[in-house]
Amino acid sequence: MSALEAPPGLDPVIHAQARLRVMVALAALPTEDQITFPRLQQLLDMTAGNLSTHLRKLEDASYVQLTKTYQRRTPVTYIALTKPGRRAFEDYTAALRILLTPQTEQPGG
Amino acid sequence: MSGEEKGARLHEGSPLSAEESLALIERQRREVHRRLAVNVAQFYGPWGVAYLLGFGAIFLTYPTAVAVRLPAAVAVAITAVLFASAVVITAVTGARAGRGIRGPSRAAGAMYGWSWALGFCALGVVNTGVTRLGLPNDAVTLLWSGSSLLLVGVLYLGGGALFQDRFQYGLGVWMLLSGAGSVFAGVPGNFAVVALAGGGGLLLAAGYFALRPARPRR
Repeated sequence: MSALEAPPGLDPVIHAQARLRVMVALAALPTEDQITFPRLQQLLDMTAGNLSTHLRKLEDASYVQLTKTYQRRTPVTYIALTKPGRRAFEDYTAALRILLTPQTEQPGG
Repeated sequence: MSGEEKGARLHEGSPLSAEESLALIERQRREVHRRLAVNVAQFYGPWGVAYLLGFGAIFLTYPTAVAVRLPAAVAVAITAVLFASAVVITAVTGARAGRGIRGPSRAAGAMYGWSWALGFCALGVVNTGVTRLGLPNDAVTLLWSGSSLLLVGVLYLGGGALFQDRFQYGLGVWMLLSGAGSVFAGVPGNFAVVALAGGGGLLLAAGYFALRPARPRR
């Protein structure tokens, strides 16, 4: 396996630098809490365009939920991990740990 | 691959190896917790200073073993300014703590913050009502110092339970002991107890939390 290829068995939606960082930040929030777009952007030091692109991909996979609302007539977008999203992130980290666990050599392999 | 190449590749967002991915998760998790965490030293510090210097100043208006005597007006002014500052600093810190976040944890934090305001309003009403019945001056003084520290202690017990912080719970127990101790110390010893045990305890707690690394909010 070349170092540049994604290891097999890893969720390709999460296994990308920027989206992984978004998932980690959202998973770090207390369960059921939501965060505004600008605060998430500030936590991650990402440009608005970059963050929107990756959020759209995560939303397409139903991993995050975007809630658009108004606060004093200003539109505000709140972002939170969905239940499947949280589970996918846990599965992903579990898969990483399995990949990194030293395997016992198969005889003749 | 050199570290420089590795850094450039990570920056481009190319696929990660499992090791790189796990390291990135850990690094990012720590960074997010650090930025979201509220250091409670910011809450304890201003109140510690207000208790120590404010009640210390009031203690010094009485004839005591300490040679310094302060005019009552000066002591009251010092105390008023320090307490008003502590209220403003902690209210602003509390309001800023969860900016951009909504949900159960934010609601719990807001309810806890309001418990302080509501508790002290009620304490003021009760103590003023009791005082109106006619109490000796020393009894009024002891009523206020004892009941204030009792309320502070109970609120720290609640904070410790809410934020799963045993240290804060312990601070609450210490405040309860200080409150009880202040009543038995009599006047003006009660002011020394509130200043040294109450204020000193808060400043020690602030120092502990300022030096301790930030904890995750969960």
